[in-house]
Amino acid sequence: MNDGTGSREPTSPGRRRFLISTALSGAAPMMGRIGPAEAAETGAPPAVTPGAMPTMAISLTVNGRTHRLDLDPRKTLLDGLREEIGLTGVKKGCDHGQCGACTVLIDGRRELSCLTLAAAAEGREVVTVEGLAAADGTLHPMQQAFIDHDALQCGYCTPGQILSAIGCVQEGHAETADDIREYMSGNICRCAAYPNIVAAVADARARMEG
Amino acid sequence: MADALFPQASGAGGRPFPRHEAREKVTGRASFAADMRLAGTAYAFLLTSRIGRGAIAAFDRAEAAALPGVIDILTFEELADEVRPVPFVFEGGYVADTLRPMATADVAHWGQPIALVLAEREEIAREAAGLITVAYRDVKPPAADIDADAAETLPLESLEESVGDFAAAFADAPVRIEARYTTPPQHHNAMELLATQCRWDGDRLTVYEPSQYVNNVKHGLAQQLGIDPARIRVVSPYVGGGFGGKGFLTQRTALIAIAARRLGRPVKLVATREQGFTLSTYRAETRHDVRLAASRNGRLLAHAQEGWELTSRADVLAFGGSEMTTRLYACPNIHRRVNVVRADRSTPGFMRAPAEMPYPFALESALDELAHALNMDPVELRRVNDTEVEPFGGRPYTSRSLMPCFDAASDAFGWRDRTPEPGSMRDGDWLVGWGCAAAFYPTYAADAAARVRLSADGRVHVASATHELGQGNYTMMAQVAAERLGVPIEAVTVSLGDTDLPPAPVTGGSVGAASLAPAVMAACDAILRRLGSDGAPASDALAALAASGQGAVEEYAETRPHGVTPETIGALSRGAAFPAGGVHLPDRVQFAFGAHFVEVRVHSRTREIRVPRAVGAFAAGRIINPRMVHSQLVGGMIWGLASALHDATEIDGRNGSYMNANLADYLVPVNADIGEVEAILVPEEDRRVNAAGVKGVGELGTVGAAAAVANAVHHATGTRLRSLPLRLEHLLADGG
Repeated sequence: MNDGTGSREPTSPGRRRFLISTALSGAAPMMGRIGPAEAAETGAPPAVTPGAMPTMAISLTVNGRTHRLDLDPRKTLLDGLREEIGLTGVKKGCDHGQCGACTVLIDGRRELSCLTLAAAAEGREVVTVEGLAAADGTLHPMQQAFIDHDALQCGYCTPGQILSAIGCVQEGHAETADDIREYMSGNICRCAAYPNIVAAVADARARMEG
Repeated sequence: MADALFPQASGAGGRPFPRHEAREKVTGRASFAADMRLAGTAYAFLLTSRIGRGAIAAFDRAEAAALPGVIDILTFEELADEVRPVPFVFEGGYVADTLRPMATADVAHWGQPIALVLAEREEIAREAAGLITVAYRDVKPPAADIDADAAETLPLESLEESVGDFAAAFADAPVRIEARYTTPPQHHNAMELLATQCRWDGDRLTVYEPSQYVNNVKHGLAQQLGIDPARIRVVSPYVGGGFGGKGFLTQRTALIAIAARRLGRPVKLVATREQGFTLSTYRAETRHDVRLAASRNGRLLAHAQEGWELTSRADVLAFGGSEMTTRLYACPNIHRRVNVVRADRSTPGFMRAPAEMPYPFALESALDELAHALNMDPVELRRVNDTEVEPFGGRPYTSRSLMPCFDAASDAFGWRDRTPEPGSMRDGDWLVGWGCAAAFYPTYAADAAARVRLSADGRVHVASATHELGQGNYTMMAQVAAERLGVPIEAVTVSLGDTDLPPAPVTGGSVGAASLAPAVMAACDAILRRLGSDGAPASDALAALAASGQGAVEEYAETRPHGVTPETIGALSRGAAFPAGGVHLPDRVQFAFGAHFVEVRVHSRTREIRVPRAVGAFAAGRIINPRMVHSQLVGGMIWGLASALHDATEIDGRNGSYMNANLADYLVPVNADIGEVEAILVPEEDRRVNAAGVKGVGELGTVGAAAAVANAVHHATGTRLRSLPLRLEHLLADGG
């Protein structure tokens, strides 16, 4: 499998802007990033009191909203999103970075939230599947394409597939069916909706770029 | 656009409506078991055994217990007999494995739950589990697999059958094939992990757990806990892939229910991927000796298949798939035998096409060997031996479209351009091979119930405790009700996956549509009768409701398919309804059919095996929704390709552990592994099979596909591989 780095030009600004404006429309006033000073302050090593559970204060910006949380310093971004913020669209399929079900966008780039500590996401923009549709309910073109092409069955890997597919298009790795197969291979679909996923990504790429 | 993507089998069925719950699934709002957020939850982490056979001498848990945030640690020392024994699900009980969780110090296999840590946070529970030291005693080397010397072979005489005189016919026949085929252990590896959440409200328990049979969990758990089943509710509105692995009650559920009761707060377990390999069931490894004999024109004269299937020491489980493979083709002399091989493993279970992946792999490979020996086209060999009646008792197939499927797929694939000589279709560095095989799956159905409500505002609600695994039950039920009551599908809402709803059977054996469609139809028909509009166009129902002055009308219906005996009345409400059909009917046999054609490319130097394209054609009676069916069949075909090339669990013979119990080392297909996969729907009308004329398709696409790949590998290379998965090292070993 190719990890998707190095063989193509970096993501074009146009595609990235499209994503962020689509993903965060309606939430623009809350998009402020945490500055380095604030990040350093909240990211300080946790104070461990004997007899107490280790805890650190973390601020996470997800889908344009900032959440201030007291978390176990070992908390993964995946568990933080699911258990603390309640964004359960992000899924745990292996917890080892092997399946892609937990894929989110971090600063516009697809990343595995099970291999990302929550603390490491501080000061960065996290987008989950809940943040893709417009405020009026209009689906992101990738979400709509997954419905139109029946690119899902049980639906468990679907949020990760959709976010990964958005990243795939923005990286310029969705120009051909073979490219899509290669660059979507980090997201396992055990129901094996692969042919329909390839069709959906190709269709959404046209809609996103059109 | 969507309609063009999902071609309809002409005249055979319904419209390709989009997946009814798709919007919930693409927005992240579909709540799977682990997504339910319960206030005050404590987190559980399991510790599992790290020996293959022996006993626990002692736990040292002081350090774990002292960790801040740890609430409790449960082992057999605390639980002892708290989980009551319940019989095996295939022997009138409920559990997938009769080994009771944490009941004694004994360790029967690697990966058995031995301790449950409860903590305020998942991270702490996990850390604490790592701090527990387990001392074992009486550690013995296990019989780790089907070939282990210490495994015990047990012939199942009740599954032995004969017709004619196999031995004499085989001895006298002009052309004979005799070969052994094997299939490996495989694990479902649904993307969703095995999660369980339990919450007690007073003496009432709610269980959130992905399940293919919520009423099995409810009633089995009630027996394990010794409480009235009316006090248990099991909720599972979305299942993140089942494939058989979430079929029946596993050991974890009672442990979490007991933990939640002891703590007086909800408890959540999300088992790790590795733990899932031994917490639930799996497809056991199998071995098959097939003997075929034919006349020079290809007519089968003798057919024998002896199978061996691995099972645990605790439970005898055998699928005995030769009951189907020996009934597929005309033949006067047949013999079949089935053995189980007991080893020190957890109890295996259903996995997509449980009998119908391994047994047909053997038969359809052997037929290809026979065709080669006869110098006969493998499609024609099937045609010569096609039959309208099964060869043991002469019972008729309710419908049989095997050869129409072969012909449709053969045409679409371009089979006529095949040159039969192995190695004759080289393309540059790639050796090209084309192979084919039959697909068939028994049509089962079970008792089922549904409730339908038609409201004066035009809305319809359908409810049944069936399950959505991705096969399309939400869509199918909405579509059947919409058609029957003359409302648009958008007006229909569906509730399922909840024991508070009308009972439904296990969602396994591809029974969903064949069981539920008749129940939904019957409830709708009862509404039409109440309104006096039965026999009138469906669109009259709403007008009749308006005329009646009622705000809504609701009806409940229970249906019983052909072959389900009256003795099973009540089984549905006890969570013990089992499907009937296939070859188990007195007057007929019922199957769906198909045919696979695949192209493989084997690299001439590296022996890498690729499958750039696969074409399947399938006939399964009335197709309610061709889009859902198409997706199921394509997914099933890819499962078959995966069995051919990927799926296999590796066992360490020293301790019975699974060496590749994670998604990096256990190979499942990824997108780049899959080329063009085409599924053609062949029109078929079967008015006898059930009231809806429906045959299940969830497993059909998987059956036979692995044999088609193996046959194509032989055509490409001249090397016959008889053990799954087919890997490049096997071609190198043969000298290529």
